[in-house]
Amino acid sequence: MGYIIHLIILCLLFAINAMSLNLLIGYTGLLFAASAAFAGIGAYTTVFLLKSTELGFFPAVIISMLVASVMATLLGLVLNKFRDDYFALVSVGFQVIVSTVFMYWVGFTRGPLGIPGIARPTLLGLDFSSNIMFLILVAIIASVVYLFIKFLIGSPFGRVLKAIRDNEEAIKVFGYNTYFFKLTILSLAAMLCALAGALYASYITYISPPVFYLFESILLISIVTFGGLGSLKGPVIGAVIMVLLPEALRFVGFPPEVAAQMRQAVFGLALILLMLYRPQGLVGEYKL
Amino acid sequence: MEIFVQLLLNGLIAGSLYSLLAIGFNLFYGTVKFFDLAFGTIALVGSYATLSFLKNLDLPLLISVMGGILVGAVLNVIIYKLVYVPIRARKGSNMVLLVTSLGVFTILQSLLAILFSSQFQTLRSAGYVPHIFHIYGASVTSVQVLMIALAVLVPIVMHFILKRTKFGRAVRAIGDNEEVASIVGINTSKVIGGVFFISAALSGLAGIMNGLDRGIEPYMGLALLLKGIIAAIVGGIGYLWGGVLGGFVLGLIENFGTWYLPSEWKDAIAFVVLIIFLIFRPRGILSK
Repeated sequence: MGYIIHLIILCLLFAINAMSLNLLIGYTGLLFAASAAFAGIGAYTTVFLLKSTELGFFPAVIISMLVASVMATLLGLVLNKFRDDYFALVSVGFQVIVSTVFMYWVGFTRGPLGIPGIARPTLLGLDFSSNIMFLILVAIIASVVYLFIKFLIGSPFGRVLKAIRDNEEAIKVFGYNTYFFKLTILSLAAMLCALAGALYASYITYISPPVFYLFESILLISIVTFGGLGSLKGPVIGAVIMVLLPEALRFVGFPPEVAAQMRQAVFGLALILLMLYRPQGLVGEYKL
Repeated sequence: MEIFVQLLLNGLIAGSLYSLLAIGFNLFYGTVKFFDLAFGTIALVGSYATLSFLKNLDLPLLISVMGGILVGAVLNVIIYKLVYVPIRARKGSNMVLLVTSLGVFTILQSLLAILFSSQFQTLRSAGYVPHIFHIYGASVTSVQVLMIALAVLVPIVMHFILKRTKFGRAVRAIGDNEEVASIVGINTSKVIGGVFFISAALSGLAGIMNGLDRGIEPYMGLALLLKGIIAAIVGGIGYLWGGVLGGFVLGLIENFGTWYLPSEWKDAIAFVVLIIFLIFRPRGILSK
């Protein structure tokens, strides 16, 4: 039972990150490869605030989300000059630079040693240190994120995002400042990534740089593309399958190390098959 | 003085590796016009094939290297026929091709990790110690001298192939305009298959030299690819000599950068260089 709770929490954390990435890839058509970097910025900033100030968990998370949004805005000023594959490449660059900082800015992150002993949150006398309480907390936050994205996409703002994805020149002609829209959605998505990262840090109670490497960003891109671009449920389904697949493979009898690698291989194969026969993903609405 | 000569040599050695990668990448991108994320991992397939020829079958070095190059190149052509031909026939966008290559990359990487373990392995046989030359107090091994020689020799051969042979002219025609090329009677599918073969062979050569000089691990593919892309963009994307120049420029900047920063920051330096180039000179040094 405890293990099932653990898996559900992981699914929800991945789902939050994937939903935020879907805002960029699925709804705005921006192939963004630095979501792990922003999860890391959220995690490290929160942990720093928890360890060196008197702030509680929730104020620290909010501040770290603001830090992530400021950094995303600055990054956006550069990223907005690029499109499609070059956009992806520059975001990879940002991702690599940030992971290098996590690894070698030892004074702030303790480098490869990582930071242990991160506290679980408390709020208004409620203690979220048991896994079941933490599950409730994460489930509430994930639902809020889901509803928020649903509201956002239904709003006029969301319609402009989809228009940018489908034809940026056309929507510009109608007088929309697409530069501003892309900057806003980038900083919003970065805030949600930071939220997921901070929750992850608090759940595992330990963080180290490899969790926030380029490969994790790429994994998230495959989760979103696999589940379905531009759909609300797609990233959630993708995240659930990604977390549960190695469990299923282990159940069939693969040893754990091989199961983890097999998961990547199965996902890779699924991506190729999807691109060949169903470019919108499992339940997606938008084709790349 | 000693440090300067050593850094210069290290820069040239790294530069020759990046040049070899960038030559392959430029040939590919100049013809097919998308970022193949599996490019670096194909290089590793060649390297691991060489490794098993050497250590499991006890074949001589030269034959193992040639066999390894062949395995990587043939595999890339098979992938082209199975995956890219149908997607390109459907006029899949650059993003579709990028995500597809992401799938190929993930499968190959996990298969390599399952088959050969995640250990860092060298292609050198157990007792072999390369000859070391001393120049002004700096040292360079025979393998490294060979790498620099190859980085000079390979582009000359490629230049001849592209300018003087019928195949080379067809490649350049497709790079200019694939549709027109097929209208005038060039068998574009066959020529592009040749491009997949040669670019994989070149990247395989780079991967094997790197394996002889230092070593290989399954997760290196992304780094090899990114260094190749950065070198190609810095020099001039799609141009043979642009890749060569970009490779050496990148190698030298990275190594002289370690005069001021610890050497762990090399990757970050490379991406800062990339982003500066993309902002101020997006078509590279040799652009017209």
